[in-house]
Amino acid sequence: MTAPEPLLTVDPRQDPSGPCVIEVAGELDHHTAHLLTEAVDAAPFDSAAVIIDLSGMTYCDSTGITVLITAYRRAQAAGSALSLAGVSPDQMRVFSVVGLDQVFTFHPTVEAAVSSLHR
Amino acid sequence: MRATASPAQESAARPADEEARMAAVRRYRILDTPPDGAFDRIASLAARIFEAPMATVAIVDTDRVWFKAAHGLDGVTQVGRGPGLCASAILHGEPYVVTDAATDVRALANPLVRGEPGIRFYAAAPITTSDGLRLGTVNVLDTRPRRPTDTQLDALQDLAALVMEELELRLSAIRTVTAERDRRAEAEHLARTLQRTLLPPALPTVPGLHAAAAYHTATEQEVGGDFYDLFPLNDGRWAFFLGDVCGKGPDAAALTSLTRYTLRAAAIYDPDPCAALTNLDTVLKGEYQGSSPRYCTAVFGVLDPVPDGSFDITVAGGGHPPALAVRADGTIRPLSTAGGQLVGMLPRPRFVQTTTRLFPGDGLLLYTDGLTEARTPEGAMLGEEGLVRHLATAAVRTADDLLETVEVLLKRLGDGVSDDTALLALSVPAHTDNRIQENR
Repeated sequence: MTAPEPLLTVDPRQDPSGPCVIEVAGELDHHTAHLLTEAVDAAPFDSAAVIIDLSGMTYCDSTGITVLITAYRRAQAAGSALSLAGVSPDQMRVFSVVGLDQVFTFHPTVEAAVSSLHR
Repeated sequence: MRATASPAQESAARPADEEARMAAVRRYRILDTPPDGAFDRIASLAARIFEAPMATVAIVDTDRVWFKAAHGLDGVTQVGRGPGLCASAILHGEPYVVTDAATDVRALANPLVRGEPGIRFYAAAPITTSDGLRLGTVNVLDTRPRRPTDTQLDALQDLAALVMEELELRLSAIRTVTAERDRRAEAEHLARTLQRTLLPPALPTVPGLHAAAAYHTATEQEVGGDFYDLFPLNDGRWAFFLGDVCGKGPDAAALTSLTRYTLRAAAIYDPDPCAALTNLDTVLKGEYQGSSPRYCTAVFGVLDPVPDGSFDITVAGGGHPPALAVRADGTIRPLSTAGGQLVGMLPRPRFVQTTTRLFPGDGLLLYTDGLTEARTPEGAMLGEEGLVRHLATAAVRTADDLLETVEVLLKRLGDGVSDDTALLALSVPAHTDNRIQENR
């Protein structure tokens, strides 16, 4: 028997150039969002910039959005940089409707997000 | 002590506790269930222990003996409740043995003895419940007379006890599943009931305006948090709102309740649409600060009747898809509140309001994103464009038309709709409608 394919994977890693990159892949919804919540809770907002890589995210519901806003508030409180990378056009439309396009900093890729930090 | 001989009249008798016994038989829900490996193995083990050609796990029903398992009986699944064999065996708390049916007055009359297959030997151990009711037997049969050993009869009793344990296990599994199903059904029912209380049972009648609303449920399992309302303000104007809270289930229902009552109260305090959303933002932040922040998105509007039958409308959007104005001439345009942000979680949210006039023949559709985030059969998100395209295909004149047209779309999208959808439609009756009818 093989284990069922996980619906969401959340992979935090330290980029060699400094920022913490949290890679999110799969469906971010009220069944799986706790995985990202844990990663956001553990992220080093006080000492590093945080990039959430959403290029592998296939779905995001309102609970997922709640977690992303929580990350934004953590970053604001710590005075550090948070950016979202690789947001799909469909997801961008959803972010625009709820007004989050004015809240987050977006970059097409993690590389672009990293290089913007060194500018 | 073994029951080896007893009076002949006993063979036709029924247990004194037959009613309670039958109740127990039914309780274990075993009769007429499909064959099952565990019981088949017990029957073949019994046959092997006795080196006998036939063995069964038998349950004694009102007027038949039904075999849960039958080894060597060639497809026989039940026999009549004839005297002398199983029917007699359940009268005893210990093994019941007929060493030679040809000379045993108790068994002589049994059809299995007199006719095919001509049973001569029969030994049975009762399957007994913990309260002493005998459901049936584990038994072995042979067409030759035999004399079983005590060891064999002890083993037969062990097998009967094993059957009883298996039946108990199955019953408790059935009960657990049933209880779990009941519990879940009850919780869902409660959440659905709660959700219904969050929607107005019927929309009020607004003079000179048609209004219609609907709630479309995507799945029974997960209760969403969509809401809407339409109510009078105390100065002749009317207010309406429609929105969606984040999350699902009872928590979402509680947030929906808070949101709905806050918006109604806010409208009395200050019916300016942006002020109502700002008020809601403050309340949600106060209620859900800390570890479990929550938000909602909403459109809030005020209707102001104009003497010529039109309505001035002011709507504010808080992170919600814009309402669609469906004009009498067929044009469909969003009442854009772009830039408005979700309510309850952002430090300084922006709400955007806009004003328009609904003339006779015009309509307004408010919806939640369960509709626009639905997937088309091609896998694309429907989006506002898809919704507008669909509305443009139908001759939409009234609030009821609007809802009906969207219902058709929802039906067509089917499983592509993964979230609940609330709909609120308003329309100003067209003067021309009356004229056309009068001319007929």
